[in-house]
Amino acid sequence: METNLTLEKYPGLISTVTIGSEGEELTVGGQNALPLLFKEGNIPNPPKIAFEVWDIFPGDFDPELLNIYGEEAKDPFAWAELGINKCKADLICLRLQGAHPDYGDKNASKIAGFVEKFLCRIKVPLVIIGSGDDIKDNLIMPACSEAARGRRCLLGSAVQDNYKTLVASALADGHNIIAESPIDVNIAKQLNILISDMGLPLERIVIDPTIGALGYGLEYAYSIMERARLAALSGDRTLASPFICMAGQEAWKSKEAKEIPGQGAIWEALTATSLIQAGADILVMRHPKAIEETKNHINILFGGK
Amino acid sequence: MRKFKIIFRPDNLTVEAEEGKTVLDAAVSAGIDINSSCGGEGTCGKCKVRVLKGAPDILTSGLISPRERKNKVFPACLTVIRGDLEIEVPENSRAAFDAFTAEEPSGIMPETKEGEFKRSPLFASPKGSVFNFGFSFDIGTTTVAGQLTDLNTGKILGTKISGNRQAAFGSDIITRIVYAEKPGGLKKLNRAVLESMGRIIESLAEENKIPLKEIHGILCSGNTTMIHLLLKIDPAWIRRQPQLSVPSFPTLTAKKAGIKINPAGILKCIPGVSGYIGGDTVSGVLAAGFYREEPLCMLIDIGTNGEIVLGSREYLAACAASAGPAFEGSGLSCGMRAVSGAIQKVEIDSKTFKSAYLTVSGDPARGICGSGYIDLLSEMLQRGIIDKNGKISAEGKHIRSTDNGKEFIVVSGEETRAGQDIVVSETDIENLKRSKGAVYSACAVLARHLSLDLSAVSRIFISGGFGSRLDIEKAVRIGLLPDLPREKFIFLGNSSLSGCRKILLSQDALKEAFSIASRITYFDLASDPGYMEEYGRALFFPHTDLDKFPTVKF
Repeated sequence: METNLTLEKYPGLISTVTIGSEGEELTVGGQNALPLLFKEGNIPNPPKIAFEVWDIFPGDFDPELLNIYGEEAKDPFAWAELGINKCKADLICLRLQGAHPDYGDKNASKIAGFVEKFLCRIKVPLVIIGSGDDIKDNLIMPACSEAARGRRCLLGSAVQDNYKTLVASALADGHNIIAESPIDVNIAKQLNILISDMGLPLERIVIDPTIGALGYGLEYAYSIMERARLAALSGDRTLASPFICMAGQEAWKSKEAKEIPGQGAIWEALTATSLIQAGADILVMRHPKAIEETKNHINILFGGK
Repeated sequence: MRKFKIIFRPDNLTVEAEEGKTVLDAAVSAGIDINSSCGGEGTCGKCKVRVLKGAPDILTSGLISPRERKNKVFPACLTVIRGDLEIEVPENSRAAFDAFTAEEPSGIMPETKEGEFKRSPLFASPKGSVFNFGFSFDIGTTTVAGQLTDLNTGKILGTKISGNRQAAFGSDIITRIVYAEKPGGLKKLNRAVLESMGRIIESLAEENKIPLKEIHGILCSGNTTMIHLLLKIDPAWIRRQPQLSVPSFPTLTAKKAGIKINPAGILKCIPGVSGYIGGDTVSGVLAAGFYREEPLCMLIDIGTNGEIVLGSREYLAACAASAGPAFEGSGLSCGMRAVSGAIQKVEIDSKTFKSAYLTVSGDPARGICGSGYIDLLSEMLQRGIIDKNGKISAEGKHIRSTDNGKEFIVVSGEETRAGQDIVVSETDIENLKRSKGAVYSACAVLARHLSLDLSAVSRIFISGGFGSRLDIEKAVRIGLLPDLPREKFIFLGNSSLSGCRKILLSQDALKEAFSIASRITYFDLASDPGYMEEYGRALFFPHTDLDKFPTVKF
């Protein structure tokens, strides 16, 4: 029996954001349909995986992660190469945790120097995220932005109360920006408006909706992402940005990741793959096994599309 | 109970207070009006005072910084009396930028259209008495306005406004209702409003050389909670489900009510609709007049309770926005009522960021009133001094950083009366943003309930204590009022007071008021599932959905 599907056609379009220098770039976004509903429109870019790397040894990480990284975790370059070569990640997400006052408090010029060296060694598209301390990040990020000029990175993160410094750097040095909001569609929209008021085109913004892991707010994040996507596809340009989700960071915070060996990787994979259904365009991940499972999953879903 | 002497500086007032009472209690009995947004609960931090002499007990609070503790600055409501004390009350902690004096408002009250209602004063003088004077009062949560009228001729002899002294027990009605539930609370709140009214009555009677015994009646217009507290009726059920008001307000003699006019004089109150829509809204609708006309109209009261009425002669719907006292100048660092010295019009130079301003009565600037703030916000947005979120994002000699965030200097201390800078801080802007967000989202929700688009409204009446002017264009630009053709807006001044006056002079108008009250349908915003979403969207200048404000471009 023939089934006639009722297909929706949306007038809106998610921006296409290009990350990486000429010749080595990748694109995210560009879809005009809801996640995985291929018959309703065009979904040109499958979700990408970013491998998370710190500029210092991640002493806080779960022992299971440290175990699997081995010696590589002590050297950011080797660690990144592990992500590229072994895990086949599409991007590297470099977190400048060493600048945080409680983690080494490295100064701006030290950090910028390190970023320069990193950029020489690592040639894939790059996400560069600050330490999380607003005052420090406002010092280090402009320096890193300048050091990375020409590499068209994705810099993070701008928040509603502290966005001007990062946006100014992104404008000056030709980078894209992560706009982070606390699981709130209105704030996500307001932040995008504030950023574009400064002159940065909407096509250079990626939204971090602040996800929660499975069991820790995953479905809340899912509903926010879904609402934002629906608004964007219905024509709201200020919400029409690709999503970046910190799946690794969040999943490994959970009790479940720590309590049974092997469960952490599963938790991370489940968080990441669920978010694909919500429209995640970049997943920032940690465990090689989780990455493998997620890549497999993406290939199956997008295979032949 | 041991009693101790508390001396207040710089007022040099001394009161006796019982051990265990707080400095805030003592200040109230001394007649010193200290800010207390939270009604003495210890949560708002607005009642800070300095202990000059003595050793009171200080209850714990996260609101005191180490520097304040070192300087012996504590919240008055958390400072417990255990011995004699000498206390300094700083300017910032005093309720409202100016003291509670009865002042002439600068607003124009629309005159009663002749022949609209048959003249028949509500109150009569006793046989043999030549004179007959009456008062109409608008009892607002933040501001009380009283008007003296010669009931024989219908002529207005004077109008004065004053702060509502109940502000010492909370800046919003819920806080005051909670306070009234405490032992002795209702009595204190009742006394506070009677004092505010009494000052206005005495002042106007004296100015016009009228003996108090020739005043034979007072008609009161106020929100439901205010009238309950005035009549000393327990308001507890207003805030509890099913949120009930007393079904009708009793008429009292002045003696029974505790008001100093002719003891046989009458105190009457205009009927309200529900717990949160009171006689002041009914009075405003009467003043605006659209309840008996065809076209769809809206009445927006930009006061502490932000009542909105949408309708025509076919139906009337109302809701209350709970906007807060920001547009009446309360709770803001340099806010004041629209009386002499209040900045009411501002333009900011795009290059120097210097402000050119006009004050009410042209007096040297003392602070900023509601219309002044509306102008300021619009100008600051236009000049890029603040971003759409309300954060100061420019630099210059008129912008400085303080411990509590940035502030924009409107007038430097050299030009002001008190010698202090007049500023608007990021906290002020946040307060104003919330107030305007509440008013706008209430309008949007009410329209949604009636399945109407705001563009269907023919006239929008604005009521509020703004003084003689409200810049409609700027009010739209900041997202306080909907983006509609500007000719549709009519500024009524204090519509509660003008409606009250019509009723004072006509028993037919009183009948009409009862009819209007019975026709208004109340929509509760607190229980509306879409309200918070709508409110959140309105917390942006002009609005998160920029499409709603097509004529506004910064």
